[in-house]
Amino acid sequence: MPSLQKAKDVLERLTQPRSEDATVPVTVSDDVRTQVVYEPDEPRRMLPFPHLPKKLRRDRHKHTLVSVFRYAYYDPAFKYFVEQVLDCDYLQLPKATKRTMELGIQSSSDYVCTPFKHMMGDWIEALELGADILVQVGGPCRLGYYGEMQEQILRDMGYDFTMLNFSHGIEQGYIGWGKEVLRMVNPDIAIPNGVKQLLACGHMLTLLDSARDFYMANGGFEREPGAFRRAWEGLMDAMRAAATKAEIDEAYRAGMEEMRAIPLDKPADPVRIGIIGELYTAIDENSNLGLDEKLMDMGVEVHRTLNFSNRYTHYNEENLRRTIAEYAEYDMGPTSTMTLAAAKKYAEMGFDGLVHAKCAGCTPEIDCIPVLRRISEDFHIPVLYLTYDTETSDTGLMTRLEAFYDMLAMKKAAKRW
Amino acid sequence: MQHIETIGIPRGLLFHEYGVLWQRFFEELGFRVLVSPQTDRAVFEAGEAASVDEVCLASKAYMGHVAALLDGGQCDALFVPSYDNGDVRAGFCTKYQSLPDLVAATFRDRGVKLVTMRVRSANDRKRTRGEFIELARQLGASPKKAMHAYKAAARAQEAADAARAAAQQETLRLLAKYRKVAAGDPTGTEQAPLAILLVAHPYIAHDPYIAGDIVAAIEGMGATVLFADEADHAAAFKRSFDFSDTLPWLINRQLAGAILQMHEAIDGIVLLSAFPCGPDSMFDDAIMRNVRGVPILNLMIDAQSGSAGMETRIESFIDILRFKGKQGYLDA
Repeated sequence: MPSLQKAKDVLERLTQPRSEDATVPVTVSDDVRTQVVYEPDEPRRMLPFPHLPKKLRRDRHKHTLVSVFRYAYYDPAFKYFVEQVLDCDYLQLPKATKRTMELGIQSSSDYVCTPFKHMMGDWIEALELGADILVQVGGPCRLGYYGEMQEQILRDMGYDFTMLNFSHGIEQGYIGWGKEVLRMVNPDIAIPNGVKQLLACGHMLTLLDSARDFYMANGGFEREPGAFRRAWEGLMDAMRAAATKAEIDEAYRAGMEEMRAIPLDKPADPVRIGIIGELYTAIDENSNLGLDEKLMDMGVEVHRTLNFSNRYTHYNEENLRRTIAEYAEYDMGPTSTMTLAAAKKYAEMGFDGLVHAKCAGCTPEIDCIPVLRRISEDFHIPVLYLTYDTETSDTGLMTRLEAFYDMLAMKKAAKRW
Repeated sequence: MQHIETIGIPRGLLFHEYGVLWQRFFEELGFRVLVSPQTDRAVFEAGEAASVDEVCLASKAYMGHVAALLDGGQCDALFVPSYDNGDVRAGFCTKYQSLPDLVAATFRDRGVKLVTMRVRSANDRKRTRGEFIELARQLGASPKKAMHAYKAAARAQEAADAARAAAQQETLRLLAKYRKVAAGDPTGTEQAPLAILLVAHPYIAHDPYIAGDIVAAIEGMGATVLFADEADHAAAFKRSFDFSDTLPWLINRQLAGAILQMHEAIDGIVLLSAFPCGPDSMFDDAIMRNVRGVPILNLMIDAQSGSAGMETRIESFIDILRFKGKQGYLDA
């Protein structure tokens, strides 16, 4: 190391007094002078700088109670959204009761579509439980006007609250919604973290739907009754408790493992039914009176392409429409393309029947019916059309489903022989 | 594409909003245009038979018009456009979006042939023009001819809208004048005129089979009927943002804006909806909750209703308005 050696030599030469003239003060370079220890007479005073306590991180969490309407099995994702993305407290609504429905009916206009009434009931119960903020989504049909109308009705009833309505800011897309959230709910959200958690929330939706698909396809064939239901509830609880993406993945892994371990008595060729229809009613077990479980209990393999993640997180309407080009030239409404594409796919896959579930007055799904009839004719696949309103009786539904199942099973048996 | 000479246009739904444009456009392109006759009982019943029973009254009537054109056998194709929700604040009921596919599926066995197009956002003029020109090109017109046809058609539509708006302004002016005369009449025998604003989608308000009885009943009581959909569309649309931020439907926005604009000049509102109209199921509620100071009669028409019940309700409504006009109600 020649350079280091050189530096040492220089330093030595400078610090050593020159031998020929020791009495003459030696010129010392500045960096050497700083090494000279200087001892003042008095101890050095502290600099006039205030002594600060250790800086705390700003608390970004806001203690407002946020409620989202009841929607099928998506409440873990809503909870995650509120707690991790909005960074607020989440109000977990209890299961809907008959009273919920009655509150909804009383406060809505009578021929508005049924989800509006269900949601009104949810809002009133949420406000009774102390919710400060209600979250309403926007959509391309009447759903886009739900938020404003519900807010108005609730205000007319005398409730005080804030409504986070995603119909506002929709012109600017995600940026508009982000601004809306910061303005209405919590201005302290750490945006990078919020975006990260939003992606995790989307991931959770996908996993929930994927778990549900497995549950519906196999739940009807369990050897021990109730095993699937138990595993499903366990999965939901674990999802509700998750606070990071890793925990979501772990909850899914454990839940799926438990469901896969359940012993099945599944015939090689079970009756397979595809559920198609409108985004709220076809999925939400409270408004479709447990359609999934009713079919599963009859020993049916149930499929449903329509779900939140297929509609929102990975949805390519134009490509989906290519598969039904002979039936639909245009996008016919919010979920119409999915309904028709799923119906055709199920028909091609040799399903035994389809159940078309929608709420009363759902214009886009009503307009799908003539097209579904064509698909039904072309592929010889029976379709059961169900329209749910607030008066639909459980027994009446059961009778229709049983008759439909019997017909499909007989048809299947006849084909086999 | 097989040679097309005659294009049929069903007289229903958005025909009452954009019919002049459609008709003129195809005429300029050199087609013979056949518009189905006015709705009557036979047309409506044919439509009802062809439709799913849950659809709205106006949609059933539309299907009846399609059936009438198919029965006539004179059309080589029917023009059924799809009006989409490209603009979230000026969209349409999903019914208009799905209409071509709905007609094609409903009348597939009768070999219906459609001339269709997709209008992504009706308020965006430039884009709509491009879409119409594209349609003309598909039908074999040269770009120049297509442009010419669209411009002539758009001008005709604008002129028709402007004429209706001007006529309405004139009516309002005359009403104001008569009111002044009646108020200044020393004998008190002159009766003040009564202006009723009929708030309904154009295909309801201007369809004689659906709303004809109601309009006749109001006029029979000596009141003047003003149609909310005849007000200046652009101004009404702009005004409607005072009424609602998120109302998604263009026609409902025009109606809401018209109510706000004419609020001072009218004595009562008849809010007319066809059962079970999707947008109106919420819009009517919004109007009833928010529009104050003018009495409102909310009527729902369905296929079963006879006109007698409606007439009774309208008579009593107008009697109340007259009584109110004579200061019969102290709080009014």
